[in-house]
Amino acid sequence: MGTRTYAQAAAAGIWASGAKHVGYIPSVTVAPVIQALVETDGGRDGVSEHVTPLSREEEAVGVLGALPLAGSFGAVVMQDNGFGNNLTALTTFSVSYHLPLLIVANTRGSLGEYNSMIHSISQHVPPILRTLGIPVVELDRRSSVDDWHDVIAEAGTHAVMTYRPVVVLASFWNTDGKVA
Amino acid sequence: MRRIEALAHLVELTEHDPLVVTCAATSRELASLADRDNHLYLLDSMGLVGSVATGLAIAVDGSDVRKVIGIEGDGSLLMNPNVLPTGGYLAPDRLLMVLLDNRVYGSTAGLPTYADRVDLGALAAASGWTVGTADDEASLRAEFARLAETPGPALLHVRIEAGNAADIAKLLVDPVSITLRFTAWLTARLPRPAA
Repeated sequence: MGTRTYAQAAAAGIWASGAKHVGYIPSVTVAPVIQALVETDGGRDGVSEHVTPLSREEEAVGVLGALPLAGSFGAVVMQDNGFGNNLTALTTFSVSYHLPLLIVANTRGSLGEYNSMIHSISQHVPPILRTLGIPVVELDRRSSVDDWHDVIAEAGTHAVMTYRPVVVLASFWNTDGKVA
Repeated sequence: MRRIEALAHLVELTEHDPLVVTCAATSRELASLADRDNHLYLLDSMGLVGSVATGLAIAVDGSDVRKVIGIEGDGSLLMNPNVLPTGGYLAPDRLLMVLLDNRVYGSTAGLPTYADRVDLGALAAASGWTVGTADDEASLRAEFARLAETPGPALLHVRIEAGNAADIAKLLVDPVSITLRFTAWLTARLPRPAA
């Protein structure tokens, strides 16, 4: 357990959450998470049977958010600036229809950010999501690798038990990962 | 052919299929014809029919469900055209979208969509979908039957007249009731926990 990276722990936590299928919107920060998800699912080059790329965050909510309607459960891996793209889908579909969904997003709005624009959306993501009644759990350097795994796994359980989307915001700054 | 006439045929053709339906006039008109447990009305999720249908098509793979049917409009599809390349890329076997194309935003004052100049069926074909076209009731039924048996993502591009049916009641239901009803109907047809 002690030798795995934060990204590997995040990926293992997503599977441990009970997610049967994962969709992702690429970012350089979550690329190691995606790589770990794909490898543990027997795939390569960013694709496996149960891990698939998507082109935009709102369709990720539609595709993965629909799985509970068939008795299944899905997860989305994305970057936090993408919440600007999927808030309508999250609220009118996942929240309104009481559909559980785990979203794990890396953050770009605080320490370690070099881009002078992206924080304009990213730093406001936690209060925006909380205003909409979407639970947010935040992870950063102060938590251990094992804690990242456990928090992400439990966030998925929380989504299923409460019939709603749950968001984990993960800051990779000063971990073994990278911000961007 | 008017929308409600096309929907009347689709009601007959989809009694045993999960049906994901776009918002506003299309959902209302469908519900006025038949309000069944297999109907998933997306009451306000514009553009999301194709994405939801894609997710469900992935989830029902390996079951006896022949196709997940999405009923979408041209205006709504243009709000999330990613549905086409994503469906073509993921290529779920059991995905069938019926595009009711009247070239206007039928629930939004009849303002024009791009569909007058852009062929949405051709976009789907370029993205890897099997595409059929229909402009009357006979071709709708024939092409639906063909595409329902065609593996992979399929799109039935139906040209319809602009305009909504008169005196159709709004669909004022709690979305959670739709979730519970549809989920119970669908999961009863799945032999195991879906992927």
